[in-house]
Order: sequence, then structure tokens, then C-alpha cells
Amino acid sequence: MSIGFVLPSASRENKEVDVAIIGAGPAGLSAGIYAIRAGMSAIIIDKGNAGGLAEEAPFVENYLGFEGIEGEKLAKLFKEHAMKYVEISERNEVRDIIMENGKFVLKAEKGEYTAKAIIFATGTTHKTIGVPGEKELFGKGVSYCVTCDGYFYRGKRVAVIGGGNSGAIAAIYLKDLGVEPVVLEYMPTYMCEKAYQDIIKEKGIKYITNAMVTEIAGENKVEKVVYKDRTSGEIKEEKVDGVFIYVGLIPISELAKKIGVDTDNRGYIKVSPKMRTNVPMVYAAGDVTGIAGQIIIAAGQGAMAALTAYEDLMLR
Amino acid sequence: MGYIGDKDKEYLKGEFDKYLKEKVMLLVFTGDNCQYCNVATALGQEVAELHDAIEFHEYPVNGEEAKKYGVEHAPTVVITDGDKYGGRIRYVGLPSGYEFSSMIEDIIDVSRRTAEVSDEVKMQLQMIDKPVRIQVFVTPTCPYCPRAVRTAHRFAILNENIIGEMVEAMEFPEWANKWNVMSVPHILINEDVQFIGAYPDEQYIKYVVEAWKKMK
Ligand SMILES: Cc1cc2nc3c(=O)[nH]c(=O)nc-3n(C[C@H](O)[C@H](O)[C@H](O)COP(=O)(O)OP(=O)(O)OC[C@H]3O[C@@H](n4cnc5c(N)ncnc54)[C@H](O)[C@@H]3O)c2cc1C
Repeated sequence: MSIGFVLPSASRENKEVDVAIIGAGPAGLSAGIYAIRAGMSAIIIDKGNAGGLAEEAPFVENYLGFEGIEGEKLAKLFKEHAMKYVEISERNEVRDIIMENGKFVLKAEKGEYTAKAIIFATGTTHKTIGVPGEKELFGKGVSYCVTCDGYFYRGKRVAVIGGGNSGAIAAIYLKDLGVEPVVLEYMPTYMCEKAYQDIIKEKGIKYITNAMVTEIAGENKVEKVVYKDRTSGEIKEEKVDGVFIYVGLIPISELAKKIGVDTDNRGYIKVSPKMRTNVPMVYAAGDVTGIAGQIIIAAGQGAMAALTAYEDLMLR
Repeated sequence: MGYIGDKDKEYLKGEFDKYLKEKVMLLVFTGDNCQYCNVATALGQEVAELHDAIEFHEYPVNGEEAKKYGVEHAPTVVITDGDKYGGRIRYVGLPSGYEFSSMIEDIIDVSRRTAEVSDEVKMQLQMIDKPVRIQVFVTPTCPYCPRAVRTAHRFAILNENIIGEMVEAMEFPEWANKWNVMSVPHILINEDVQFIGAYPDEQYIKYVVEAWKKMK
């Protein structure tokens, strides 16, 4: 049995800091540690829990120093480490940012924060596929989080749509829970790392390639997923009780855009190698930059962003 | 060895020293044929040992105290001042995994006899003048669930007509099935209004108000 960890979400307050970090995922937490150690004042604000998407990662096998660790545990270690240095304000969504007297004012759920610099470590959110049935059957068999909902399908059959790394990890996790997953991948080959391919084969998880999902169907609950076999053009279906969707991520960059930050055509924040955006004193790190979608890289980018902010803010 | 690690204990002690004010009661209701009752009791005891302001009691689920607090299932954990909060801030099933932190936050709020919401939400909460029961179905591995649980509990702290009840879906599968719970957090208000997801207070309260209006 696992016992979660604790931190009373910070209280309502107004605060002035050198650098405000939005997002307490791996990127933001790492940025927080580096910011304080460099000598700046900082706060990390997150609308959910510290840990970010890493909390949803069932099992992480590629973070240096850990041969294998649950995402939840790794997130806990990150958070405990960061807490030693920096205030983390959880369940506190930043809703607007304005400029006032040359400083940024972040208007959040629990207060207003004035900062000389901002690091966007806002990560991503799950992408939807946009096929009929997806919205209608959300919560009735359609889900985007295996660690949250996988349990409900023990002894049942589910489809995992998307065979990239997240989808592969999700399918492996489900199989270990006692669920029978079938992966549906759009592309003609395995889209996940070789390490995951090997586990998928070894565990006998069905991985269908060239499958274009066209519908999730069922009366009041998921009953089947319909797809087009892109090689034969044939319409096929898999009878399932649930569907987990892992077709990619959408960057959370609206607030950044609002203050003039450039993004690419998919919405990822454009950054220089030192994590500067086009707007002075505004930096971005982690998945929101679209560079890799990996915890270790997010953490590294967070560190870089804080160091660059220090350079721009303190050494000029 | 206990359930809470030494490092976590130390951290919790520090938090309790900082924030606990008045007495808080941590009540665990247990019964027969209950897989997690022993764990609930042990966990409750371990938490209570960390600070003098926390008072631990174990009661049978079919006894007088259970009636008094409106508890029907085992295990149920109630965080209360023993008076005005009654049994309205409760966990049906073990507050483990991510929900452990919800319980700690509840202990702090109950000890401070208050909870934080914006003025706008406070005003809407004041309208609720009939009993409203908010049930939040969760799994312990759901990182988004504590937010939904805590919102229900904060509302319950601020309004005497509100019951905030976490239900651990894995321990009570029939219950979860009855309401077709397949994604968590799944919030059910007065066994009528339902929604899925961890919404901010401003949206959450709208569903509560909707359920309350339907009672008129
Ligand atoms: C199923 C699954 C398995 C995975 N497995 C692995 C793995 O094995 N190895 C690996 O390296 N990676 C894995 N990943 C990817 C990994 O989780 C991410 O790369 C990593 O979490 C990115 O970190 P981040 O800090 O950039 O963003 P995130 O972790 O997404 O954190 C961003 C944070 O910003 C917050 N936020 C956003 N907007 C606001 C706002 N307006 N106000 C306040 N807060 C805001 C969010 O709440 C969130 O907490 C997996 C992902 C999934 C879904």
C-alpha cells in the first residue's frame, strides 16, 4: 500500500518575487531549485499537484539514477527536494498575466504575484482524437489516464489508442493490472522505443498498426472501437469495454501567447538553446517547448531556464 | 514498522506544529469482514501520535457513535471537531495514496476551524440552506482526485448543510458500479447531479447550487 505525500496547498497571498515559475512538473521544480540556489527569490505555482504529468507515468525506466520507479514516487522525490528551497503553491491556477511598471503581474486563483521574470513550465494536456463517441462516452469508458481509471477494467478488454511511448507504457501498465489491452497505432510500425516494443511482445499485447480509428461506439458505455485498416481500406472493429486515449499532447501556451511569446504552428513555445523566448525576461522549459516529452529533459531545461534568468536579471 | 515513513513523519510533525490550533478528532469506524479496517486504524493512530491536538478514536460501525456521526460503512474516517462539523467531513474507504494528503489538509483546516475559498464562492455557499451531500469517487492512484475531494470537504467546513464524502471506488465496487463510475474523480451530488473531473471552485459550486436548487 502506498501512502501519498503531503503539502497543504499554499494559502491566499500576494507576493513579489524575482522569478515566477508557472507549473510544478519536473521542469518547474528543477527551475525552482536552480533559481533559489543562484540567489533569486522565486515561487512555483501549479493549478494541480506538484509533479505534473510525471504523476501519471506508471513506471519510469529512463531517469538517470533510477533503474525503475513509479512516476508518482519520482514526482514525490522531486517535490520534496524542491520544497527544501522554494515555495510551491499548489491548486492555484494562473489565469492572467499583465504588465505593470515593467513587471509581470500574475493573476492566480489564490492571489497576485509580481515578478521580474517568468518561466513557463506549463507542460501539456492530453490531445483528443475528435472521433464520434469520444466526447459522448467520456467517463463512460473513454479515459485519458490509466493510473486513474485502469482499475475499473480489471478482467476486461480495452483499447489503447496511440502506440507511442505513453500509449505503450499505458498498455503495459494495464496488462500488469489484469486488463487485456489492444493497442491501435495509426502508423505502419511500432511508434514506441525498442525497450517498450520488447515488453509488449514479451507480454503478448496485441499491437495493431495502420489503424485509423474512426469511431468509439456504444450505448451509454463503450462497447467497441471502429477503425479503418489503412493497408486494405477495410473497416474493422474491436469489442472493448474501455478506451484509453494517448494520441499525443497539446502544449499549454495560451497565457504565454497572450503576452506576446512566439509559438510554432502546433502551439509549442519557441525557445533558444538557453531557454529564452522572444519576449525579454520570459523563458520556457519542459514539454511546453515540444523538444522531447521526457522527464530528464524537462528537468534539464528547467535548470537551464533558471540559470539564464539569473544571467539576465542579476548579471546585467 | 508503520505505514508512514520516518521522513514523512518528520515532515508532518513540522506541518502540524506550524498549523494546528484547536483540537481535532480523527475517528475511524471499523467493522467485520473489512479488508482495510486494520490499516485505517493503524494509519489513524500513527497520524494522531504526531501531535497532541489530534485525538484518535476507533468505533464500531454499527454502534451509537456511528449513528451520531451518520456513518454507515467500514472503514470510514471522519475528521471533526466533535461538534459542528459532525461527520460531514469523511472518507469512506482508506484515505491512502494521493488521498492521504487530503486527510492531512483536512486535519489542518478542521483544527483552524476554517477553509479557504474566494469571496465569490463563499457567497454562493451561503445560499445552501438545505442538506446537500457531495460524494467524490476516487482511486488512490489518481493524482487529480484530491483536489475534488478537498473542494467537497472545504465546502463542508464552510457550510453546515453540506456533507463531503470521499468514496474509494476500488474498495466499494458495487457502489461505484451503481453510479457507473468509470473515470475519476466522479462527483455525485444528492445522488442526482453528476460530473467528472477536478474543476476549480467556481465551476464546482455551480453544480452544488444546481443540486440545491433542484431540491426546492
Ligand atoms: C502515461 C505517461 C507515461 C510517461 N512515461 C514517461 C517515462 O517513462 N519517462 C519519461 O521521461 N517521461 C514520461 N512521460 C512524460 C513526462 O511525464 C513528461 O515529459 C514530463 O512530466 C514533462 O514535465 P514538464 O514539467 O515539462 O510538464 P508537466 O509535467 O506537464 O507539468 C506542467 C505543470 O504545469 C501546470 N500548469 C499548466 N498551466 C498552468 C497554469 N495556468 N497555472 C498553474 N499551473 C499550470 C500543470 O498543472 C502541470 O502540473 C510520460 C507521460 C505519460 C502521460
